[in-house]
Amino acid sequence: MKPMYRLPSAARQLVQSFTGTIRLSLILFLALALASWGFILVDANSGFPDLFMAETWSSAAGFLGKLAGVGEEGTPAFLQGERWMETGILASKTLAMSILAIVFAGTGALLTFLPAARNVAMGELSPHRRATPGWVLLHYFLRGTFILTRGVPELVWAMLIIIFLSPGILPGAVALGLHNYGILGKLSAEVVEDTDPRPAPSQRACGAGGLQVMGYGIIPQVLPQFITYLLYRWEVVIRTTIVVGFVSAGGLGMDFRLSMSFFHYSDIALLLAWYLLLVIGIDMLCAGLRKLIRE
Amino acid sequence: MARPRATFLEGRRLVSLALLAALVWSIWQVQWDQPIIHGGGIGAAADLFRALVTPELSPSFLATVLKASWHTVAYAFGGITLAVGAGFSLGVIASGVLARSSTGRWSMIVGTRGLLALMRAIHELVWAWLFVVAIGLSPMAAILALAIPYSGILGRIYSEILQDVPEEPLSALRTAGASEWQVLLYGRLPIALPDMLSYTFYRLECAIRAAAVMSFVGVAGLGFQIQISLDDLRFSEVWTLLFALVGLILLIDLWSTWVRRSLVR
Repeated sequence: MKPMYRLPSAARQLVQSFTGTIRLSLILFLALALASWGFILVDANSGFPDLFMAETWSSAAGFLGKLAGVGEEGTPAFLQGERWMETGILASKTLAMSILAIVFAGTGALLTFLPAARNVAMGELSPHRRATPGWVLLHYFLRGTFILTRGVPELVWAMLIIIFLSPGILPGAVALGLHNYGILGKLSAEVVEDTDPRPAPSQRACGAGGLQVMGYGIIPQVLPQFITYLLYRWEVVIRTTIVVGFVSAGGLGMDFRLSMSFFHYSDIALLLAWYLLLVIGIDMLCAGLRKLIRE
Repeated sequence: MARPRATFLEGRRLVSLALLAALVWSIWQVQWDQPIIHGGGIGAAADLFRALVTPELSPSFLATVLKASWHTVAYAFGGITLAVGAGFSLGVIASGVLARSSTGRWSMIVGTRGLLALMRAIHELVWAWLFVVAIGLSPMAAILALAIPYSGILGRIYSEILQDVPEEPLSALRTAGASEWQVLLYGRLPIALPDMLSYTFYRLECAIRAAAVMSFVGVAGLGFQIQISLDDLRFSEVWTLLFALVGLILLIDLWSTWVRRSLVR
């Protein structure tokens, strides 16, 4: 048993098992990674050399200490019950923002994912069982909205929306909703495209119309997966609400930004504590809901 | 025999009602006493949308866009390469496949899983802000901030994929006298690699978007340029930058979809 001398051959075998597209992509990935690191390290201000300087790490340790309330005048924020209550209200606003966002995204996706699926718009399951210009146009339009809303990050949506919506949790929820609408729409349309096509012809043979085929053949196959995606996105949304709050001025994000600017370190620690409580709470809730769906 | 009738507040219905109540409470949380669109908001929105048809296309600005795009790509790759390395190491430990005794395995799984959960609980931009304060404003702060939550996600997924490898080929290796390390290297990894690659490529798309946003804290990239143009109300430039960002993400998305399709085959 001398494994080590066989390692190179094992690695070579592994590489050789990838052919064509995959090998090309791996080479491209490595090339881009190397070029990126080269570019980053050549930059004199990359901050990379700083990582090997003692000052950097003592300042980082100092920051952690300040978060924990070291050297702060008066009682640190996270030891005052009153401050917990005040920031708790912000946390509840953040929670409300995430719920509104996921409802916006879910409703939007539910209304559009069927025509966005290729097989519903212009294939096997379409009303005329062939491509008609109206449906094809609708299909590509919806796919386009998915790409646009998904491609623009939540924070950038928030920066655009805050130009005309009043600050608060609503613009944040709209921004998060738009981005997640694109993601949920794309994912659920792909689920429809991957559904089993066999029930449809037999349902039609029994006299079912287009809507009935959808309602009894497609939706039941898709819905559990859709809810799973919705819960998964909610977990992501609650993590992102604080970031969107930086600009939309709703919930924990705004106070986080202000505390950062005013160097109120123990406040930052308190806000992070609420943030982690929300994230962990939602993760556990979603795990429970997923279990309920599977039963 | 008749099925026992479900009571009104049976499990799922109760959950649905609770979720509905949560929605009503959330709507109530919105400040409805202030106008939804603030004063001058309509005019600003009109300006924003008017600029959509006249994106800024002057060569000098396009050069800026190209440079910002490259910064975003470079930082995304910097972050994801670190995340693949750290995520893989942590994922192997968190899968518990290297432990022989069951207590050893469980302490490994629970400990590393907790660490991975903490890493991904905090959004990359929050990490970025913390890093900027802790080690100073530099591309490295953004790259590390990206790498931490992505290591958390990749580590968890890698560990699950490694655990889900079918047992039969592995026991064949063990019967032949292979150690757990050898089982990992010659059994689990070759079987798990396509799934791991597929997920990594999916995350690459997310990393590009995250790297663009990362510049919100002040690191060069598309997000930084968007912020500058928005602050100066130069909406034509904003649209050019947004098109560049969406185009870039679309490109990576097509690439990763292509890779994943070929991996499934």
